[in-house]
Amino acid sequence: MIAPSSIIRVSHLVKEFRTPKRAPGILGGLRTLFTREQNVVRAVDGVNFEIAEGELVGYLGRNGAGKSTTIKMLTGILVPTSGEVVVDGLTPWRDRQRNALNIGVVFGQRTQLWWDLPLVESFELIRRMYRMDLPTYRGELDRVVDLLEMGEYLRTPVRQLSLGQRMRGDLAAAILYRPRILYLDEPTVGVDVLAKQRIREFIAEANRADGTTVLLTTHDLRDVERLCRRIVVIERGRILFDGGVDELKTKYSPGRRIVVEVAGLEGPIELPGTEEIRREGSRVWLRFDPTRTPIAPLIGQLTSRYAVTDLTLEEADLEEVVRLIFAEQSGVKP
Amino acid sequence: MALARITLALFAAGVRGQLQYRMNFVIWAAVGIVFQLTGFFFLWALLARFRSIAGWSLEEIAFLYGLRLLGHALTVFFLGGTQLVDWLVREGAFDRYLVRPVPLLLMVVTWFRPSAVGDLLGGIVLFAAASRVVPLDLSLPAVAYLGLAVLGATLIEGGLRLAIAAMAFRFLQTHGILWFVDTIFNNFGNLPLRIFGSAVELLLTFVLPVAFVAYLPASVLLGRTSELTIQPAIAYAAPLVGVIVFGLAYLLWHHELPRYQSSGH
Amino acid sequence: MTLAGFPAMWQFARMEAQTFLTYRVNLGLQLLGILLQVYLLKVVWTAVYEGRTEVDGIALGTLIAYLTLANLQVWAIYPQTAEVLPPRIQSGAIALDLARPIGLLVQLIWRSVGATLGLVALVVVALPLAAVLGSLRPPASPEAASLYVISLLLGYGITLAIGILLGLVAFWTLETHGITILYHFVNQFFAGALVPLWFFPDWLRTVAELLPFQTQAFLPLSIYFGRLVGTDALRAIGVQVVWLVILWLAAGLVWRAAIHRVVIQGG
Repeated sequence: MIAPSSIIRVSHLVKEFRTPKRAPGILGGLRTLFTREQNVVRAVDGVNFEIAEGELVGYLGRNGAGKSTTIKMLTGILVPTSGEVVVDGLTPWRDRQRNALNIGVVFGQRTQLWWDLPLVESFELIRRMYRMDLPTYRGELDRVVDLLEMGEYLRTPVRQLSLGQRMRGDLAAAILYRPRILYLDEPTVGVDVLAKQRIREFIAEANRADGTTVLLTTHDLRDVERLCRRIVVIERGRILFDGGVDELKTKYSPGRRIVVEVAGLEGPIELPGTEEIRREGSRVWLRFDPTRTPIAPLIGQLTSRYAVTDLTLEEADLEEVVRLIFAEQSGVKP
Repeated sequence: MALARITLALFAAGVRGQLQYRMNFVIWAAVGIVFQLTGFFFLWALLARFRSIAGWSLEEIAFLYGLRLLGHALTVFFLGGTQLVDWLVREGAFDRYLVRPVPLLLMVVTWFRPSAVGDLLGGIVLFAAASRVVPLDLSLPAVAYLGLAVLGATLIEGGLRLAIAAMAFRFLQTHGILWFVDTIFNNFGNLPLRIFGSAVELLLTFVLPVAFVAYLPASVLLGRTSELTIQPAIAYAAPLVGVIVFGLAYLLWHHELPRYQSSGH
Repeated sequence: MTLAGFPAMWQFARMEAQTFLTYRVNLGLQLLGILLQVYLLKVVWTAVYEGRTEVDGIALGTLIAYLTLANLQVWAIYPQTAEVLPPRIQSGAIALDLARPIGLLVQLIWRSVGATLGLVALVVVALPLAAVLGSLRPPASPEAASLYVISLLLGYGITLAIGILLGLVAFWTLETHGITILYHFVNQFFAGALVPLWFFPDWLRTVAELLPFQTQAFLPLSIYFGRLVGTDALRAIGVQVVWLVILWLAAGLVWRAAIHRVVIQGG
């Protein structure tokens, strides 16, 4: 039974990429023309999920896990090999243009602005493409310029903008016509901390005030923590986890890490509350759960028992979360 | 129609974008002009010494050349962007265009190539000059046919370029074959094809529709249909061939677009 | 009629770095384009002769053989030096060369000769096809042959200099491919690869004789086909020597000016 307010519905979605097997050399090149042998990669392997209108969902996964491929099928860029995608009643790849009117997309790695022209001209072209009338456009432009503080560089050609400025420009361009759905593909990658903050607030505001449905793919767990209440994790083309952020945190908390250099270390490091996860020579990575084992006494014990020459604290990253979930799902020790 | 206005705005933006690089724009426009004029210069120098080629005088040759140039210039003007398609497909750079509420083909139209300016100038000048010195029938049907013939020429060359670009979604590398087709049209499209003998003339009519671009319409307009190997009626059908070629190319484009695989990222 | 051979060069060069195989294929395609042009010229000129075996003392057979060789020649001795400089200039590697200009020169010539030999090899392979699409004739005499070789080498030296001048343009503008293509069109016409200078209208011939482009095909081949013999041939070679000197001097001057510009602007 589908929830009636589901704006995005994905069922049994599969995408295979076929590349012809390429043998090396001149003869190989010729052979490729005649052979039917292909490398088949299942980038998306039976994905199911539904998103209700107004949700802000984080879509996580390592590189090559199938995140971008899913998004590309949702936005109509790729045609699925099999399965169903319904976005606001439309099939994205078939009703591509109508679907496009409903959505805004930001590709973190690539801009959609007109590279050689002043920023504001990109906005004007968007006004035309999305059939906005002048008064509405002016109102929205002012609002967005204000919120993202772009007034200073509206007249600057996009190619001369910094990464952070350009990213804000892309975000503004995506939201100018108030689409019902926003797809944000790594919108904070490579951007400085301050700009990241501004972008996050902007996204949160769009979701809260306008009820815009947001699907956010990211590598940055902090993006997720600040913005999302629901998370979907994909790995090797399959959904590993689909639930609340809190649930993710409690069930799969990867904790934090201490990296220590110990002089003349022999044997394992014995320290209650910690678990060794990696070792390179005299350098050891230890995992611990800060909610259960307070940091300060732990460090005290470590330095008193071992000849510590260097010590760093690290945040665990997405790799670990995914590894943990994956391990649990397949019953393997991580 | 709203779509027309959108396309116009995007096209204008494309031109403005190219104009940002003043020097580059001028040089490529110059390349366009020189490219076309040098070709004609050859014929001009030749005919300064010799009176005619296969019975076609310098003025008639100029008319033929100008007619083809005009069609070709319009092709490059509107569909010059097709030359970029295979590169964009390999780069996976189409994504940003596919999420816009605009047909992809119209976006291709807006990718302006500065050399088109040169082509267009060369074509207009040559054609205007030639039409003045050639005994042309200026009746309404003739002028209408002329207009349709130019349109047909644009559709033929444009259609072929579109078809080749469409293959890029499947084969990824198409500039080799684009260059080949381009070369054939550039070399054979401006000449009275009868000098090659009927075999080649037929080849360049029914296998690759080069003759329909300028030679056949020019024959019609200059009253030379009797020297054609084919039935004169076919020559009159030149514009129709354009519609057919472009129509097929458009279907191919539509059919191949779903093969787009984007990039790894 | 337009000029096959380098039409999509700007596409190839601009868009991507190529594997060796694609580079070879591109060259093959270009050569095919040249031969297509030769075929075209043969047909057009034959039509224009209207059944006469000779016009202005030029036999049709000789003419077609001339055009075949001229087009192959112009393609083979393409100024490779024009390709080598711009990337170095744009990447800034040229700064290293400022200290050792002679070293740079040697490198330029070395690489150009290497590339040219590759093209010549391809031409040799394509000769049978050239004979079919155009026509091939031996030199008019042993003397003609030896003077031809000298003349050709001088012509090559001239294109090297022109290539350097073209390459140096990169110091002033980013877009060098367009300029190279413009050069190619003008050169092909005034080198006599489409219409031999014998058939130029008088005023145009005067213009052509004031330009260095005729040294690439028309002059050497005039000697080859025995149209220039004895003192006339030597005079032609003399003209080539003069151009050689002028153009290399010019290249040196422009190099100096370019370096000066770099120093002033801080590279």
